[in-house]
Amino acid sequence: MKLFTRYNIILMAISLFGLLLIGSLFYRLLGYYLDKQIDHDLVEEIMEVKEYASKGNFYQPHEFEDLVVQYKKIKKANPSSSYADTIFYNPVKHHTETARYLKTELELLGQPYQILVIASKSERQEQIQNICLIILVPVMLLFALVLLVNRILLKKIWTPFEQLLKNITAFNINHEVPYQPVEMPVAEFRQLNKVLVELSGKVKSDYNEIKLFTENASHEMMTPLAVINSKLDNMLQSNVLEKEHGETLVELYKATSRLTKLNQSLLLLVKIDNNLLQDKEKINLKSLIEEKYVYFQELINGRNIHVESVLADVSIYANQQLLEILINNLFSNVIRHNYDGGQVEIRLDPEKIVFANTGHNPALDPEKIFDRFYKDHASEGTGLGLAILKQICNRQHFLLNYTYHHDLHTFIITFKH
Amino acid sequence: MKILIIEDEPGLQQSIVQYLMSEGNQCSMASTYAQALERLGLYDYDCILLDLGLPDGEGLQLLNYLKRLNRTEGVIIISARNSIDQKIEGLRLGADDYLTKPFHLSELNARILAVVRRKSAHGERHIEFKEIRIDLDAKEVLVKGKLVYLTKKEFDLLLYFVANKGKVISKSAAVEHIWGDDSDMADSFDFIYTHIKNIRKKLTDAGSGDYFQSVYGVGYKFMEI
Repeated sequence: MKLFTRYNIILMAISLFGLLLIGSLFYRLLGYYLDKQIDHDLVEEIMEVKEYASKGNFYQPHEFEDLVVQYKKIKKANPSSSYADTIFYNPVKHHTETARYLKTELELLGQPYQILVIASKSERQEQIQNICLIILVPVMLLFALVLLVNRILLKKIWTPFEQLLKNITAFNINHEVPYQPVEMPVAEFRQLNKVLVELSGKVKSDYNEIKLFTENASHEMMTPLAVINSKLDNMLQSNVLEKEHGETLVELYKATSRLTKLNQSLLLLVKIDNNLLQDKEKINLKSLIEEKYVYFQELINGRNIHVESVLADVSIYANQQLLEILINNLFSNVIRHNYDGGQVEIRLDPEKIVFANTGHNPALDPEKIFDRFYKDHASEGTGLGLAILKQICNRQHFLLNYTYHHDLHTFIITFKH
Repeated sequence: MKILIIEDEPGLQQSIVQYLMSEGNQCSMASTYAQALERLGLYDYDCILLDLGLPDGEGLQLLNYLKRLNRTEGVIIISARNSIDQKIEGLRLGADDYLTKPFHLSELNARILAVVRRKSAHGERHIEFKEIRIDLDAKEVLVKGKLVYLTKKEFDLLLYFVANKGKVISKSAAVEHIWGDDSDMADSFDFIYTHIKNIRKKLTDAGSGDYFQSVYGVGYKFMEI
């Protein structure tokens, strides 16, 4: 939920509750004062009754007064009076109405009487309703206006914040462009902006340092590796080696080779990260794939892998070196993770390249397979092949997707034009 | 051949010398820029191996020096940096080849032979080993004058073995020679066996002797029996 929506909902709930509370209190208070006024009128009527009685008459109000005075003979008059609400039949208007009465007992013309004065409240009630309406409507209007102003104002105030959000989202550690600061009139936002500028700068410099470290560490390892390799090559020339030494040498060669490949892959990743391979040229993908197919042919034939390819004549603008690595990695991937006698499907059309292969593994986690050093334990690879693939696709603005269906691990690279 | 090895890592320097001497070459060593200049001032060489990262100077400057003096030595750069820019810069300054560390000594040896062959004015454009004749220009192999059809990879592999004749070449070195650095195929060692088998069969079918020997399961040796 947006901050603004949430704020409005709370504000509206509280306002509504407050308005209802204050409204009902107001209504009751108004009713109470009107009752007082009617009661006062009723007392005046009684005084009228007394005055008429002193002249020997029974007072009856005018018809238009919405007032009824009833006399009832009683045995003894108790000097008491009581007010209350009631409903009475208005003989003038011919319908029942809410009303207020005063009941009192008096001696009139020497006789004890119970006197009931009933006054209609309907007009007064209408008055209350009108008063409430007169007050309520402007309040509601004011309320709506406040909401509207709030909305417009907040939107205006939050606009730079939204721009800031957009800029943070656009910020990519791998790209050259730094975080774009936003001009902000609000002090808190300005501070946030300042912190973000500093933070993004720090993140970027830390990241560059890590890359530099990786690069230097990998380079430094190449010379000792060269020493090991050359010593092994010389040792191999010895005539006094036993069979078991031979086996050890095989293992040493394999380990050295893996370490070398690992280092080379790390260096390649850094190189792609640093965007050092930028020159673009027109590359015929069909002939590139066909060329690489020949390059890998022995490996494919050696494992009896059946390759089915449908290649359209497609050329794109891209970096030659990166694209060669891309196709290389796709090929070594579909061969390495296949089983003997497996299947490989290669499709190329103007929108995409698809490499699909059968394999021992069930579907892989598409979220993880492009992570560095993600690999199954049986694999002799570096665990960087797919990470490099992903990185190349990022650099060339291709989309890289992995899916698994019909028992095929499928890698789809979509070109964005 | 006289070869100057300019390399500051003693372990690597010693291995290179050992391997190249056993091939019958004369080797001089220099561990610093100053030593290298001194050696170059005193002697002529057939080939110079140049490490770019020397403790007291930049190897590329040595290339400038050689170029200024119009020296004709073949130069192979050996560097830990696999950078295209450096490669291009090195070749522009007159280096003949560029080898990235780590490398196999058999690969280095083959490169030296190729550079020296290219450099010498009346260089042989073919190599002979007993009844086998390899034509480097036409990329053809003849056994007793008869053409043997080899694939490109088989041709490269045979040339590699002949250049290092009498030496054991590990499968690892052979794989890297054929598939290069880019391919991430550490598990492709066994395919060398298939290639060797094919070359062997084609050569013996054409009437040549069988000169390939398997050594301890680590690699192969190409030699007279």
